[in-house]
Amino acid sequence: MARLNLWRWAVLAFAGVYFLVPLAASVIFTVDVPGEGITFDAYGEIVGADGFLPGLVLSLELGAATIAVVLLLMVPAMVALRLGAPRLRPIVEVICSLPLVVPPIAFVAGISTVLKWGPEHLSRTPLFQTFVAIQNPDFPVVLVLAYVVMALPFVHRALDAGLRAIDVRTLVEAARSCGASPVQALVTAVLPNLRGALLNASFLTLALVLGEFTVAQILGYQPFAVWIYSVGGSQAQLSVAVSVLSLLVTWALLLALAGLGGRSRTAPRG
Amino acid sequence: MTATTLEKASTSDNAATVEFRGLRREFGPTVALDGLDLTVRPGELLALLGPSGCGKTTALRMLAGFEHPDSGEVLVDGEDITHVPAHRRDAGMVFQSYSLFPHLSVLDNVAFGLRMRKVRTSERRARAAELLDLVGLADKGERFPHQLSGGQQQRVALARALALRPRVLLLDEPLSALDAKVRLNLREEIRRLQQELGITTLFVTHDQEEALSMADRVAVMRSGRLEQCAAPAELYGRPATAFVAEFVGTMSRIPGHLSDGSVEVLGQRLPVDGAAPDAVEVDVLVRPEAVRVEADAEGDARVVATAFLGAVTRITVRLMDGTEVKADLPVHEAGPLGAGAAVRVSLPERAVLVAERANRQ
Amino acid sequence: MTATLTRVDVAPAASVKRRRRAPGWLAVLPLLAFVAVAFGVPALAMLNGAFTVKDQATGATSYTTANLTDSLQGAYFTALIGSVKLSAVSALLATVLGLLLAQAVVTSRFRALREAVLTASGVLANFGGVPLAFAFVATLGNSGVLTRHLGLTDKGWSLYSFWGLVIVYLYFLIPLMVLTITPALDGLRSQWREAARNNGATNVQYWQHVGLPVLLPSLLGGFVLLFGSAFAAYATAAAMVGSSVPLVTLQIADAISGNVLVGQENVALALSLDMVLIAGLVMAVYLPLQRRSARWLA
Repeated sequence: MARLNLWRWAVLAFAGVYFLVPLAASVIFTVDVPGEGITFDAYGEIVGADGFLPGLVLSLELGAATIAVVLLLMVPAMVALRLGAPRLRPIVEVICSLPLVVPPIAFVAGISTVLKWGPEHLSRTPLFQTFVAIQNPDFPVVLVLAYVVMALPFVHRALDAGLRAIDVRTLVEAARSCGASPVQALVTAVLPNLRGALLNASFLTLALVLGEFTVAQILGYQPFAVWIYSVGGSQAQLSVAVSVLSLLVTWALLLALAGLGGRSRTAPRG
Repeated sequence: MTATTLEKASTSDNAATVEFRGLRREFGPTVALDGLDLTVRPGELLALLGPSGCGKTTALRMLAGFEHPDSGEVLVDGEDITHVPAHRRDAGMVFQSYSLFPHLSVLDNVAFGLRMRKVRTSERRARAAELLDLVGLADKGERFPHQLSGGQQQRVALARALALRPRVLLLDEPLSALDAKVRLNLREEIRRLQQELGITTLFVTHDQEEALSMADRVAVMRSGRLEQCAAPAELYGRPATAFVAEFVGTMSRIPGHLSDGSVEVLGQRLPVDGAAPDAVEVDVLVRPEAVRVEADAEGDARVVATAFLGAVTRITVRLMDGTEVKADLPVHEAGPLGAGAAVRVSLPERAVLVAERANRQ
Repeated sequence: MTATLTRVDVAPAASVKRRRRAPGWLAVLPLLAFVAVAFGVPALAMLNGAFTVKDQATGATSYTTANLTDSLQGAYFTALIGSVKLSAVSALLATVLGLLLAQAVVTSRFRALREAVLTASGVLANFGGVPLAFAFVATLGNSGVLTRHLGLTDKGWSLYSFWGLVIVYLYFLIPLMVLTITPALDGLRSQWREAARNNGATNVQYWQHVGLPVLLPSLLGGFVLLFGSAFAAYATAAAMVGSSVPLVTLQIADAISGNVLVGQENVALALSLDMVLIAGLVMAVYLPLQRRSARWLA
């Protein structure tokens, strides 16, 4: 298509400028401080900054917990769907699409309302302790609960694509006919073949948790993204530097994912 | 399907001549066409036959305007159209598959070309209906392509190709994607329609049975060159090259010795048909229906396999020197001959085709 | 003898069937239970709260549609309209620009270019929220790199205006569009273009009569998806502190945390319900369009 060359390169040039300039400018912003000249201080400050490590560690812990829970819930369910129970399939599909219809801000509005029931109505019941426990600031389980729900659509899509590519029924039947129990068949025959899809789902969930801001901020916790926001006002260079770094880390994760095969799906932002 | 008098009058009087002159095309290291010279006579159906990659589709697409030759010309009725853009050429094309516009009804698909020519709506719908009637789909005008079977879709594609009354009709393996039975039916209908309309037609196929049964002449191509262009009977009976002999129909090679214009093979001395190669050690090319096989306890050939083909039984015989020969026998004669049976192979007392000895594996 | 045989045959089959059906339900049960608690309860709370009003004086609660009507008035209504306007404009721009970019990439002879852009789109579509906002503040904010070097503030530019926000939103909307429309562009068969040319259509006529009509369901579906994404965005806007654009997500956040007016939590829930309804509408339009384009472009 030689005749399209001119406008194609024009479009690509504009796109290149639009997408690369903000990144380049961010990096410049972090090193070129007005009044100080070129300095890499901002990056040096990162590790020692107040709240950086706790925030990052918290996000990683939440991420690991979310991945574990969501995979434990979804993998047996999706494999079971593939093996039969056709009536359940639309139910699971609807369930996994519901979080897409409820924006994070609406979701957290509902959650915070529920959490208020604790002190208001349930203070005399044993349930109250549970309410307090899941809001423990050292490890807010309530965030894990929310993140698992938010990750469902993407994990569903990733696992569905992975399961579609392998013939689950034949694998399970072959394993069963060699004497494996249902659980053994799942673990030894199906899971190894799902490695790509499982990695896919894990990375997307991790990217989701690392970047998640809305729910965490409204509920008053400070994982990574909220911490970046909180230092934004006072230490501009530092917060932009951390943003650039967190972006690079997420990119590296997702590029690794794309490299491991399977086009990456989109995780929610905001 | 019958052609209206209107159709016939407009095309058969001035059926076009198509000529390819010295067409050459390279795609990087691959040579698609290596100097193709071919003339299509007015009103004839010429089949371009050959294995994949032989250049037949490239040649057809050059006539349609979708490919441009590196050198050489394409002429229609003597006028050089090599540099005319595709949308201004007068050649209706039927593609192998998926060419109907999915968002338009069958009628609108057929009327598309007329719409591009700004023909009035009522006129173009009437003409499209006429054409659908021609291909036997008069009642399917308001359906959509995904609601039709493969064979029906190709008929619509044919109607669309004819809508603008083109001088040439191009068919790019139109039947390859269809079921066997549908293929046979459509083959006959296309041929009948083409003859009634008298339109010059170029038909690309890799199926030699299709080519032999439909075409007035068949052009066999290999590696971008024309091997032979002749009527089907001549192509089958007097292949010009060893490639044509083996590509069209089945051919067995039996080693023999050439001397004094005759060849010694299977203990017989037979005259040579056509030009003989220079060598002494040659292969005699024989069709299965020409080979005679008889049970003979003293014969030094053994039956290796038999295949029931319905009308005949095809017997594979291994000669003393390891050569395998295929022979077609009537079913009742082949009955007693099972695998391992000792037989004697002979050829009728007729001139035979001779080619250079091919390397044995 | 046959009678005894059939009786023996039937029994094992029935027990096998019973055994096979149970695991299906068993494996899905934890998931269903989890979603019921972690999602169902907040959702019900939201529904309940949206229709509840708590009398400040007596502490009594009653069901009413007052919250919903409040949510569609005054500042809240401005915010809803603001969000709709912002989402519609950014989605429209991103649809057109994304289509152009995708077409430029899909038709290129360089496979590497296509792979690179699609991978980059996958990554960029995920880049949103706080880091994106800060990156743009660093670039085009009041003391941003470009603003300083090009003297943009003197020319009347502000990142915190409506168009500033649009430019930021485009950063993740365009890649999202590229990802959505590329399969559709791939599905545009070359035979259609050739058949159109064969029937006398020029390039422009091809796009006008075949290309764009066939792409239309995908384009609409993409637009709707983009609208939904832009509408639901919160972090990006929140991180651009001082932005003058009224957005419903920001309103809800303010109301929940009691930042602006105390006692407006239930109206926040009503606003949330409004958002869910709009998002539901988005999905209801998107899914049939998706199916139609899948049929044509499969």
